[in-house]
Amino acid sequence: MALLITGVAGFVGSHLAERLLKEGFDLIGVDSFLDYYPKGIKENNLKRVRENPRFEFIEGNLLNLNLKEILEQVDAVFHQAAIPGVRASWGKDFSQYVENNIQATQVLLEACKDIRLKKFIYASSSSIYGDSDELPIKETSPTNPVSPYGVSKLAGEHLTALYFKGYGIPTVSLRYFTVYGSRQRPDMGFHKFISAVLLGREIEIYGTGEQTRDFTFIEDAVEANLQAFFGGKEGEAYNVGGGSRIKLIEAIRIIEEISGKSANLKYKDPQRGDAKHTYADVSKAKRDFGYSPKVNIYEGLARHCKWLKDNLDIYR
Amino acid sequence: MPIDEKLLEILACPKCKGDIRLSEDQAGLICDRCKLLYPIKDDIPIMLIEEAVKLGESV
Ligand SMILES: [Zn+2]
Repeated sequence: MALLITGVAGFVGSHLAERLLKEGFDLIGVDSFLDYYPKGIKENNLKRVRENPRFEFIEGNLLNLNLKEILEQVDAVFHQAAIPGVRASWGKDFSQYVENNIQATQVLLEACKDIRLKKFIYASSSSIYGDSDELPIKETSPTNPVSPYGVSKLAGEHLTALYFKGYGIPTVSLRYFTVYGSRQRPDMGFHKFISAVLLGREIEIYGTGEQTRDFTFIEDAVEANLQAFFGGKEGEAYNVGGGSRIKLIEAIRIIEEISGKSANLKYKDPQRGDAKHTYADVSKAKRDFGYSPKVNIYEGLARHCKWLKDNLDIYR
Repeated sequence: MPIDEKLLEILACPKCKGDIRLSEDQAGLICDRCKLLYPIKDDIPIMLIEEAVKLGESV
């Protein structure tokens, strides 16, 4: 059985590729190397999977690839491709978010109409909820994004649900809550915090540091994809959290403990687009496909720190 | 490792969606209609219009 991963050179995409190859699937990966962060980092993400003869890689853009021919070769799609970043999505760059997160999703779904897929998994995001009054956040909680990025991911999610209703494409959305671990994007929190601590640089904290996040270790997020591929209900969305909700400042304390170095904190104003708290209720994913996060924040951060320490050169 | 035959079959020109063929030196994929060569770097076909090389009439 062959599967397609879009955004395969990214953080989650590349980990998912490694896992699916290990499970014995054939893979086609697509990535356009959007320049949100350097291409060399993404090429490094792909280093291991590229050695596997069951992996085919196409550098291309979903908006103009001949998707039908590609889709005819596969049984399922893992749509990970997107332009990330809540803070960068304000202002004139929003057109890139419309193009890559909304339009590209629609073009891909459109091309899936006549293909018999087993599953179409859409990588959604906790940012679609915005500042939720209800904690933990359920899939039925209101969706009021606080960033244009969140708006674009929510629109993409609505499109997948619509193409299920309209054309029976077996779509499932996974709403990731702050995923971390090896190869995390260099603009993301833990990557920045760990490298700053390792290099003795200043850490910028936006706000008080009292904001909480539900951190999800990459292996758990990947496992959720596999489980949703087999057991996710069509047309549904699921929270994928890590069961490790802690304050940002506590996470930094753990990094200090693991690394044996102290963090040099610099407090700055809260950023537009950041939610105050995120905390996922994952009971729906547990009920429908047995999702249960395995890696707690201590183990996850220890592994993330170790990996980054050994691979710091890639990011310099 | 040369580019996979099966992959070659499913790829098309991203500009006109027409057929492409492997260039004689195997360094890229050519769309004769658009007169564009899509380079193959480290066995990866780069199917991006921005990265394509314009070909002269003689090719
Ligand atoms: Zn052409």
